[in-house]
Amino acid sequence: MRRWRPGHGHGRRTALTLLPTADADSDLEGALADWRQFRRRKRTADIHWIDAFYQAYLTAILGLIAVAVLSGMVGDQTLRPDQISGVLRHGPGWAGTAAAFAIALGLRSGSRGGPLALERAEVRHVLLAPVDRTMALRAPAIKQLRFLGFVGIVVGGIAGQLAAKRLSGGAAPWIATGALAGATLVGLSVGSALTAAAARLPRWVASLTGLVLLGAALADGVGALAVSPTRPFGDLVLWPLRFAPIGLAVVVVAAGLVVTGMGGLGRTSLEASERRSTLVGQLRFAATLQDLRTVIVLRRQLAMELPRLRPWVRLQVRGTGRLPVFTRGLRGILRWPAARVARLLLLAGVTGLCLRGVWSGTSPLVVAAGVAMFVAALDTVEPLAQEVDHPSRRDASPIDAAAIHLRHVPVGLLGQGLVAAMAMGVAVIPGGGQVPGAVAVLCAFPLAFGGLGGALVSVLAGPASVGGGWSLAPPEAQGMRLAFRTAWPPGIAVIGAVPVLMARSAIEHGRIGTEGAAPFAVVSVLLFACVCGWVRVREEIATWFRKQMEQANGAS
Amino acid sequence: MARPDAKPAVLEARHASKAYADLVALEPLDLRVPVGQAVALVGHNGSGKSTFLRLAAGLLELTDGDITIVGEPAGSSVARAAASFLPDEPVLYDDLSVREHLAYVAALHGVVAEPEDFDELLERVGLSHRADDLPARFSRGLRQKASIALGLVRPFEILLVDEPFVGLDAPGKAALLDIFSELHADGAAIVVATHDPGFVEQVDRCVALHDGNVIHDGPATPADVLRLVSS
Repeated sequence: MRRWRPGHGHGRRTALTLLPTADADSDLEGALADWRQFRRRKRTADIHWIDAFYQAYLTAILGLIAVAVLSGMVGDQTLRPDQISGVLRHGPGWAGTAAAFAIALGLRSGSRGGPLALERAEVRHVLLAPVDRTMALRAPAIKQLRFLGFVGIVVGGIAGQLAAKRLSGGAAPWIATGALAGATLVGLSVGSALTAAAARLPRWVASLTGLVLLGAALADGVGALAVSPTRPFGDLVLWPLRFAPIGLAVVVVAAGLVVTGMGGLGRTSLEASERRSTLVGQLRFAATLQDLRTVIVLRRQLAMELPRLRPWVRLQVRGTGRLPVFTRGLRGILRWPAARVARLLLLAGVTGLCLRGVWSGTSPLVVAAGVAMFVAALDTVEPLAQEVDHPSRRDASPIDAAAIHLRHVPVGLLGQGLVAAMAMGVAVIPGGGQVPGAVAVLCAFPLAFGGLGGALVSVLAGPASVGGGWSLAPPEAQGMRLAFRTAWPPGIAVIGAVPVLMARSAIEHGRIGTEGAAPFAVVSVLLFACVCGWVRVREEIATWFRKQMEQANGAS
Repeated sequence: MARPDAKPAVLEARHASKAYADLVALEPLDLRVPVGQAVALVGHNGSGKSTFLRLAAGLLELTDGDITIVGEPAGSSVARAAASFLPDEPVLYDDLSVREHLAYVAALHGVVAEPEDFDELLERVGLSHRADDLPARFSRGLRQKASIALGLVRPFEILLVDEPFVGLDAPGKAALLDIFSELHADGAAIVVATHDPGFVEQVDRCVALHDGNVIHDGPATPADVLRLVSS
């Protein structure tokens, strides 16, 4: 008797008993391959060729626009010889940071069961079957590697073509090198992830290794180190300018990581795979909807970031105390897991370093500093975010919801104040780009207020949508509103970091730094006060706006 | 406590425990299930029943101790072939019909069968009228029935069942109890985690967990279960 396989004819009919028996000679992996092919055929049969063509057309158009924009940004003036020698001196170090970042990302993903994100049913039915797990996971791993490799080759090739416009060496070598570098980068990232998953690398080891690699690459980039582990990738990237055989080593390492990872696929943790399969799909969906809060919550679940059972410090407050909302928030913060505390320390450090960069003259880093404070504030407003996540509990209270939200602000300010103080602590450490103490003290306040203000808007406003009264607005207005809603929360945080830039500008013009920073610090604090006012009356504003839109619709 | 059974163990847990950081989901547990025994695992919410079943199925990794299925570590290829796990929450493919699900899972376990061979099983679980429909569009109860059929379509020596009666209608529950009785009579071991006190009358042994500790191991009546769960 033949096993029924998808697409094959029916054979002899035999009723199963309740306890079926297995054929010891069955080719389980062959059956799995047949079924996967059957499912793939079913899925592709549902896609009309017009839809597929339209998707390819859209991708091509968007790709061309991106290349045209990038070409404009890069320019086409060939670098002078002294500039070329600068690229050769610092380029490998900086390009190495891309490799370090790719490896860090891969290690982190692998330590959480990545890079594969299987269907949950696939984990339950395939990985719990006596099928060889290495064989079962090989097809999805190859599929992912193939797709990412293709993207890497295309993006690398385009980057090479753009580089050829400014650097000597000819277009063909640059495109070929870019494509090779792109594929290598993907190999490093996916290979690290697969190897970390196979080795069951603990999360803290993966994070620490990634951080060390990134730190070494950055130090190499700024010239503090003469060499770093990822520098060979930089040598590879610059092959058309100077062929260094060491660049080949990174290609071999990437290939080695992929082969090692593929060989160890069967050792991937089933527990991590299932957790990942449950959360990654939801995470992608939430990201598509720009639902930042859901993304944060799911990401925490994926990282198993659970509140501590025992708080860091036990509050000596009986029951709810006189300030129940504040006490509740403080209790929540005191249960933060170590990973979250470490993340905030890291973000404070990044903010401080960015501000040092701003003080040294790299003005765009003010955006990075603001965004880092915004990300930190998304953690410090956690008690408020939880209130928003559970509206029925909040609405059961006799206190107005807006008043409860406002009472959560002080505890957020406390957390954000600590982050801002640490960031400024990093900024005032003696050395290159040291921010003067007086400027740091003054700018710490807008920095904290800005980050918190942005997070308050993000958490309370939720994901941007075109529903409600806006559904009848012209598409142009809806588009602008969506863009504004997306950019405004981090924008408030960036405004909070601008006083440092103003202080630097004041000193450059022969004035005292704090004099230049003060007006913008006041603006930032006033903006925060406006955000708090919005928190208190936003429901009233929304109701008024809805009525106006309804009246306008009725009139038309 | 129940006296040691002379039959070989199909499932054996020695100091099996599970923790998530500082949260202990299962205190060290010792449990031996001989071949062909039917066991009811009872306990209050959070007592560790589901965690234990998932550990035995190989879905979770032990923090300490070990669990063997037919003498092999839980999660190993031999153990996966010997233990069938029926979860409390059905996990099904979106794009396969019930019959295709059954054929797929049967094939993954080396069962030689034709599409019509599943008719009897579908009839037993009350899904014959929906055999060619997509279970992704089913109600909770029908999805649970599909999940039960998937657990039974493959060979096993021990059936690990987590809260099987949730979402089932009365005929569905009666049919499932019949199936369990039949499997038990055919020599399969069954471990069922349940809140249903009435189920203990159908089994050889009732193991009650309280915060991960075994507080009762032996025969029990529904009244005993209510007392044990509320203690």
